[in-house]
Amino acid sequence: MIKKQLLKIPFIIFIIVLSIFFYLLIIDRNPSKIPSALINNSVPEFETNSLFGDKKFYSSKELKHEITLVNFFATWCKPCRDEHVYIQRFKDEKALNIIGINYKDNPKKTVQWLKKLGNPYSNIAIDSNGRIAIDWGVYGIPETFIVDSKGIIKFRHIGPINKKKYREINLLIEKLR
Amino acid sequence: MIIKKKIIKILFIVLFQFSVNESNAVEPDEILINKKQEIMARNISKNIRCMVCQNQSIDESNAPLAKDLRILIRNKIQEGKTDKEIYKFLTDRYGDFILLKPPLNLSTIALWFLPFAFALIGFFVIFFHNKKSKKSY
Amino acid sequence: MLPTLGNIALFLSLIFAVSQFYYTRKKNKIKIISISVKGLLISSLFSFFILIYLHIISDFSVLNVFQNSHTTKPLFYKITAVWGNHEGSMLLWIIVLTIFNYFIFKLYNKKNYIFVSKTLEIQAFITIGFIIFTILTSNPFDRIIPAQENGLGFNPILQDPALAIHPPLLYIGYVGFSAAFSISVACLALKNGKNFPWYKYMKPFVMIAWTFLTIGIALGSLWAYYELGWGGWWFWDPVENASFMPWLIGTALLHSLIIVEKRQSLQAWVLLLSLLAFLLSVVGTFLVRSGILTSVHTFALDPSRGIYILAFTAILGSYSLILFGVNSKKYFNNNYFTFFSKEGAILVNNIFMIIVCSTVFLGTIYPLLIEAMTNNKISVGEPYYNSTVIPILIPAIIIMGVGPILSWGKENTSNIIRKLLPSLLITTSLTILFFSIYKSFSLIGIAGILLAFWIISNNLVMFYKKKFNLSVGMIVAHLGVGFLILGITGSSVWQIEKISNMKINNEININKYKIVFDSINEIKGPNYLALRGNFLVFDKKKNIITTLKPEHRFYPITGSFTSEASIHTNIFRDLYIVLGEGNLNEGWTIRMYYNPLVIWIWIGALTIFLGGCISINRNLKKLT
Repeated sequence: MIKKQLLKIPFIIFIIVLSIFFYLLIIDRNPSKIPSALINNSVPEFETNSLFGDKKFYSSKELKHEITLVNFFATWCKPCRDEHVYIQRFKDEKALNIIGINYKDNPKKTVQWLKKLGNPYSNIAIDSNGRIAIDWGVYGIPETFIVDSKGIIKFRHIGPINKKKYREINLLIEKLR
Repeated sequence: MIIKKKIIKILFIVLFQFSVNESNAVEPDEILINKKQEIMARNISKNIRCMVCQNQSIDESNAPLAKDLRILIRNKIQEGKTDKEIYKFLTDRYGDFILLKPPLNLSTIALWFLPFAFALIGFFVIFFHNKKSKKSY
Repeated sequence: MLPTLGNIALFLSLIFAVSQFYYTRKKNKIKIISISVKGLLISSLFSFFILIYLHIISDFSVLNVFQNSHTTKPLFYKITAVWGNHEGSMLLWIIVLTIFNYFIFKLYNKKNYIFVSKTLEIQAFITIGFIIFTILTSNPFDRIIPAQENGLGFNPILQDPALAIHPPLLYIGYVGFSAAFSISVACLALKNGKNFPWYKYMKPFVMIAWTFLTIGIALGSLWAYYELGWGGWWFWDPVENASFMPWLIGTALLHSLIIVEKRQSLQAWVLLLSLLAFLLSVVGTFLVRSGILTSVHTFALDPSRGIYILAFTAILGSYSLILFGVNSKKYFNNNYFTFFSKEGAILVNNIFMIIVCSTVFLGTIYPLLIEAMTNNKISVGEPYYNSTVIPILIPAIIIMGVGPILSWGKENTSNIIRKLLPSLLITTSLTILFFSIYKSFSLIGIAGILLAFWIISNNLVMFYKKKFNLSVGMIVAHLGVGFLILGITGSSVWQIEKISNMKINNEININKYKIVFDSINEIKGPNYLALRGNFLVFDKKKNIITTLKPEHRFYPITGSFTSEASIHTNIFRDLYIVLGEGNLNEGWTIRMYYNPLVIWIWIGALTIFLGGCISINRNLKKLT
């Protein structure tokens, strides 16, 4: 009897849908987090001015030869100030190569800011109009990326780095080394 | 009393300089002179999600990222890029999630196809019901 | 002291609910069932009113009051904030459940003890589930230690009259469907369920639920329209969809209940729909509170709550749908009817409602599906629904014009044309008249106007012919749909938007109006400071029509800004203006809209509500 089977369909669809919801609940997921489209892709190519001296900043030169942490920051961003201590720790404790990208900022202010807080960055690119950030798929600052020695983006974190993230990134760096 | 009023006045001036406006989006200085291009920009923007907002397009949102993307889209249109190229530029960087109209690819075939399948099933149900009833008359 | 009392009342209501569940399974226990039902109602109401009182007196030792209130909040919003947060809204769910529970109890008569008892048993089970959930995960009477001086305030965007009554109306809708659910389960669980006039019991509950769900959704949209600042009123947000789906099923249910009543056909189908309507309401609750997605509507994210609601939904759904799979056969009969009959038209309506509901459901859960299966995230937004739902609704609306005038059983094709002729003529003439005035032609605009006038004229003709064997409520409600389509078409197709920078004394033209930026001043509200712009509106003849006064507000307690649009409404159009950022030197960004026919959306919704109320009244009279 076809009808008998048909009558079971509502229950079956119901169970399937609920299983999907259940699965989504039990995995550790953040509904507002969106995976970066750039993970496992090559670093975007860009060329801009460096904060230091009158030099140019070439992504191909700076970002393809060793494991690098790329950090988008600005002096007007409070969470960037909060996470600065962790960025400094990455340099001091892990001897990590750190590149900063100064987002929509005043270079003079940035220099002062770094003088006051310390400078963990081996080089800093100036992104005055935010275009570089868009190339990296950045939503807002601070955002931090880990790039491997071949220039492939391996990790991205939106928001300031806290203790938990610091540990997580450390593990990743160990794995990559 | 006068001091109180003065304080309120200063408060206003200070506060509203820093206010994040909740209402407007496209600003007068963004609008392209070429009407066709501007319409194209608006149409594309209406299909691009504001990534830092709740369920708004960049056309409607006043978040800084939304503004940057609106300007970027207009620049690309002026460079002569097609909307396909612009969408690709954005999804390469922000993923498919940035599109409000889901793309048509292998994983979204079901999404686009099923509504019409539902409609088809509906028509069959009506058809067979009709057939059966014709028999009983 | 008082919060403890509220907590005790909550526990007490749990005890009454358990007692109801236990004793409805036994024979001849009507006295104790009566005590349980009434006790449940009183204790839950008591608990709810205590919470309201705690908010009014600003008792900041209570966590819920601390998180959602402040001494400077106006009294009205202190009260309505009670259900604007998760914990308080759960208490609202509970009291509406217990109120409907009481009305189910009132159905008892000498003959239907078994049936009503079974219904009350299911209803008790649902109530127990919600009360336990509230006590365990969302207790509004939890304390904060030490007690705080003042509260965190409340989102200013939510301090609004329309938004304040939107939840209670919606909940009457969702919870009303619980009664239909319980009745349906009783039909399926009892061996002789078919001997009872179950559809007579179900109809008033479905009518009440549907009618209030309609107005609840409409108020939410109205709020979005005047508050959010770009003239939109529906965004296909997952939580909006979560209210729309039960509404669609409710519409299908309400229509096919008529067939069950008149022709005894489609009984099994109606039983299924009544299960689905409530299950969708509960799933909607899940989506909003579980943390599974973020939306402007979601309450605080908490997966543990989500797991509980999911488990509860799983139990309810599995039990009822398995029961349906096994026991619904006895409700099938072989009354078939052709497409060209009233039943046929209603069946077609049902199918369209199901298609739209399935599509909305698909669009809402698809991103979750993709995320579960791949690591990718996609978003399904407005463009998707516009492409899929609207093409399906168009034939549905055409049939809605024809359906009510068809006869039961079988209609003669030539008869149909004859019956439809007057309204066809009226539709055509009204449409031609419309476009001779508004000379803007677009395919979708013409389609929308035609459909709107089609519905309006059909129902006016029925009204004129005084066909009151046809329900007045139905005619009024359908008329409302016609108005709604008129409003939706006008405001979507012919909206004019103007964005510009204006300094004092600048002017701008929109449609035939001239708007002059006259002045700007600072004003002080009860808990906010604002900048208000004064814009004079002149018509073609240089007469002043009104002054629009949009505001840009700052609420010091929460530190947030809002923008209040200024709207001038008449039956032809809305003039809508929003004040943006700026200053005296550089001017302000002004966004202005000419929104044709918008008021017909709200008139339409209100008319549908009115039609529903008329039908409710009629149904209640029939019951007694």
